Amino acid sequence: MKQFRKMTYPYIIWITIMIVVPMLLIVLYAFTRKGNEVTTFLFTLENFKKFFSDTIFLEVLWRSLRVAIETTIVCILIGYPAAYYISKSQEEVKMRWVLLITIPTWINMLVRTYAWIGILQDDGIINSLLGLAGIGPVTMLHTDFAVVLGMVYNFIPFMILQIYTSLTKMDHSLIEAASDLGANKFESFLRVTLPLSLPGIISGITLVFLPAVSSFFIPKLLGGGQYVLIGTVIESQFLTSGDWNFGSAISLIMAVIIMLSMYLTRKVDRGEQSETGVL
Amino acid sequence: MKKLLISVLLTALTVSLLSGCGSSQSKDAVEKYGSATLKLYNWGEYMGENLISGFEEEFGVNVIIEYYDSNEMMYTKLQSGESYDVLVPSDYMIERLISDDSLLELDKTKIPNMSNLDAAVLDLAFDPDNTYSVPYFWGNVGIVYNKNNVDLADLESEGFAIMKDTKYAGKIYMYDSERDSFMIALKSLGYSCNTEDEQQINAAYEWLVELNTTMDPVYVTDEVLDYMIGGGKDLAIVYSGDASYILDENEDMGFYVPDEGTNIWCDSMVIPKNAENPLLAYEFINYVLSYDASLDNTETVGYASPNAQVLADVTAEDGIYADNEAYLPRMNYALDEVFKDNLTLKQKLAELWIKVKASN
Repeated sequence: MKQFRKMTYPYIIWITIMIVVPMLLIVLYAFTRKGNEVTTFLFTLENFKKFFSDTIFLEVLWRSLRVAIETTIVCILIGYPAAYYISKSQEEVKMRWVLLITIPTWINMLVRTYAWIGILQDDGIINSLLGLAGIGPVTMLHTDFAVVLGMVYNFIPFMILQIYTSLTKMDHSLIEAASDLGANKFESFLRVTLPLSLPGIISGITLVFLPAVSSFFIPKLLGGGQYVLIGTVIESQFLTSGDWNFGSAISLIMAVIIMLSMYLTRKVDRGEQSETGVL
Repeated sequence: MKKLLISVLLTALTVSLLSGCGSSQSKDAVEKYGSATLKLYNWGEYMGENLISGFEEEFGVNVIIEYYDSNEMMYTKLQSGESYDVLVPSDYMIERLISDDSLLELDKTKIPNMSNLDAAVLDLAFDPDNTYSVPYFWGNVGIVYNKNNVDLADLESEGFAIMKDTKYAGKIYMYDSERDSFMIALKSLGYSCNTEDEQQINAAYEWLVELNTTMDPVYVTDEVLDYMIGGGKDLAIVYSGDASYILDENEDMGFYVPDEGTNIWCDSMVIPKNAENPLLAYEFINYVLSYDASLDNTETVGYASPNAQVLADVTAEDGIYADNEAYLPRMNYALDEVFKDNLTLKQKLAELWIKVKASN
């Protein structure tokens, strides 16, 4: 067993160089500002003050959270029934469905998002079809709708696959037991299937919410730039205004929010698990 | 199976031998320049169809190209320690690179084709005497408009302020860059685009916020080409070279440069101090300035050539840009300005710009 532990070393080295060191650099940058010739770093809380004292940044933060929450909810609403249906189908049909859901992720996300521009444009596919039916062009590109649509489209495979996995792992004799005990189909779903698939929903939420809240190119391409989200602000701090310190501070604030939300969802998860244990 | 394997191996061997022959030429290049590889860092979609292949063939070298879509992106990459042989930054960025002391002072005896350059693009304020930089493309910023839906009289009377005319609400593309957007606002208000005056900047900020809240603009960068060619909206802020491309593709579009003045810019080739192969870099710069390469560049990309002969030929009566009102930038107009590099101002504008876009 001990020899096997050595096999984790490459991973540990990798994670240190690629994740821990950059994270530390972000923390370092966030709490400093550009110094003079003698000291390269000066300790400061200015970057955080700048963020929290400006209502516009807070509004942008709130908007990002809102869009991410909306995306996550839509993903659950569409993803759960889909996963449920797939898990109930026959073995080879199942595999085909899973393949269909994974295939789009083989294509680069940026390319897929660009494709949506062509679909949603005023003279795009949907509007040409609507035009044939005599309905005037509906502006879809560069709206809130387009942003949420783009995010749901890009992130929904993560939700479906997570829920699907937890549903297939479920012990079917539990449902049989429920109906033996007199529960109808709806009741057994509500009291047995749903609670047992909750871990899947929760890891799905994590996998959808996190990228959604920090995404910057989907709002940029589909939202037409006037849809500023926190990822856009961070990007512009690094690439346009060159203020790495402020950019790092915002990243750190986001990291804290994300960690908090992960902690909370885990807690909910554990609470539910112990409850079902009692059941 | 074995036969197949052997034939595959044989083919591989032949191919490698053949390419080995090709590399005798690159051996010459190694002898002459010290290396047969040129690292070029340029804007995306900014080169003639045969520019690179032509250079590679003529000099028996290999060119590695990387692309950027903003000066800042290029600068960030450069600061991270990356080394390139030739860069093509814009005016104000060259100014910053000069003050950072990161550019090589050019040995002009190695670039004889510099005599081909048009006087209009030489000795510009960011690099007098062209000590560090050689012009690549130049142009200005104006408004592309749909001639069927926009009244030219409105453009002439309002200038850049047409972007705030609610008659055209929901029909405009703004360029998603703080400097260009603030330039428009400042010019429309009658100020210099290089102003540091707080009040003037604030007035421009208010101007842009009003635009953002009343006009429902869409902020785009390079996508504007496709959108305007498709006739997506009626008005767009566009660089002259992109505009000439749009005008070529869509006859309904016109180009207008307001009388209140605009920004004149010049992207130029420079050699960074940490270039690994400066000798080949000189050869490349010289090659770009040659008539054929310049013509190829300007015909493909649509930006104004710095090569005087090319510029005269393509705008002459039978030239390909003869009827294109966007191709040739306005020259010697007192209100047209080149951006000056000012890092603190730029950061401030970047911050304000985010606020403008978030103000709804």
